[in-house]
Amino acid sequence: MWGRSPILRGLATIILFLALEVVSILFIANDSVFQRVKISGAAMYLKSGVSSVTSDIRYYFWLKEHNEVLLRENQRLKEQLAIYRTKGEMADTLEGFLPTTPDFTYIPAKIISNSTNKLNNFIIINRGSRHGVKKDMGVITPEGVVGVISSVSDNYAYIISFLNINQSVSARIEPSGAFGPLIWEGRSSDYATLAEVPYHIKVSVGDTVFTSGFSTIYPPDVPLGTIRRSTVIRGSHHKFQVKLFQNFGSLRYVSVVVNNKKDELNQFLKENEVRR
Amino acid sequence: MKSGGSIIISFISLLFVQVILSGLVDFGPLVFIAVFPLFVMTLPINTSLNGLLIWAFIMGLAADYFTNSIMGLNSSALLIMALVQPQIFKAVSRKGDLENQIRPGMAQMGPAKFALYVLILLTVHHIFFSLAESLGFTHFIYNLPRLLVSLAVNTLLILIAEYGLFYKLRR
Repeated sequence: MWGRSPILRGLATIILFLALEVVSILFIANDSVFQRVKISGAAMYLKSGVSSVTSDIRYYFWLKEHNEVLLRENQRLKEQLAIYRTKGEMADTLEGFLPTTPDFTYIPAKIISNSTNKLNNFIIINRGSRHGVKKDMGVITPEGVVGVISSVSDNYAYIISFLNINQSVSARIEPSGAFGPLIWEGRSSDYATLAEVPYHIKVSVGDTVFTSGFSTIYPPDVPLGTIRRSTVIRGSHHKFQVKLFQNFGSLRYVSVVVNNKKDELNQFLKENEVRR
Repeated sequence: MKSGGSIIISFISLLFVQVILSGLVDFGPLVFIAVFPLFVMTLPINTSLNGLLIWAFIMGLAADYFTNSIMGLNSSALLIMALVQPQIFKAVSRKGDLENQIRPGMAQMGPAKFALYVLILLTVHHIFFSLAESLGFTHFIYNLPRLLVSLAVNTLLILIAEYGLFYKLRR
């Protein structure tokens, strides 16, 4: 009798539809929880297997560009080495005053899965908690920032890419020193927007944008891009279009940023908050 | 169980095509690839609406999972597409098609009608995909170019896939 009545059958269908739709929307709303589940176990293994095949093929076509990036980085490191050599000779006399651990150390990692064609892009790398990667660490390359670690398994880490409409990076413009949040607006993976720079600050097209170092996630002075175009918002603020140095489509090797002073800094902040 | 087997094969093959395409083809954020709706579009006509909804839900979640998308994004859009699918099919096809055909494909409906059928259903899917992705109407106008470009690309991809996989075999 239940199956025969068209009204009841229609009703059952509507209820089924609503139930499945609600489940889907709950999935969307709780995605961070499911990503944690996604990361774990055999499913992750299967998925990374599929991803690494496709990324290997893509990697082959970008080899030339990677070479150029490595050459440029090599050059930059050589120059820095020369500077440090001369400084090192001076430092012999100042031994004992120098800090023993550097502020930032880096864990090199290889990308096994990367997306650039969504509004919320994610990256998976082949380094996890076993290698010292933790949640909320930043990820960079010599060409710019890549994203923030969102969850970690033993051997893999899941990165919320900078190409994500909910992400922002604190940025500084050289030579004026102005700073503001750099956000990705979801249009092209080559451009981002730097907003909230006061109108009176002089900035010209072609100026370089660096990370400001105002967060514990990214080190200062990582080059991000150059200013392309400027619009004035309500007569009081600049809004810049920034051409990113980073080509997210050809990303292959990244460095996870370990901030050695992070715990100390957070502890310090907490103490001062309590006192107030 | 003959039709059950072919449903599973079409499910796996379209999911595979989807994973390969969205992993290899990258046109930037302006295009998202969605080939898997073809699976729901070409489920047998005698499938009940409840069956359609359940298949759409499973396919959507599987596509989300394997393409590293946000879980639930594709399934919510695909569910709405499945809900209107029988009506669209009735409106597009000739009367005779309903009784004696099993699979609403290109060979059975004719290329022109099938293209129209795909275009209408994909439009529904893409609109709700876009809404679910930005969770609201605020970004909708902003996302319109993305929606239109993706719609054109995906319609073309689906027609090519249908032509290559099923059309030639049936003739």
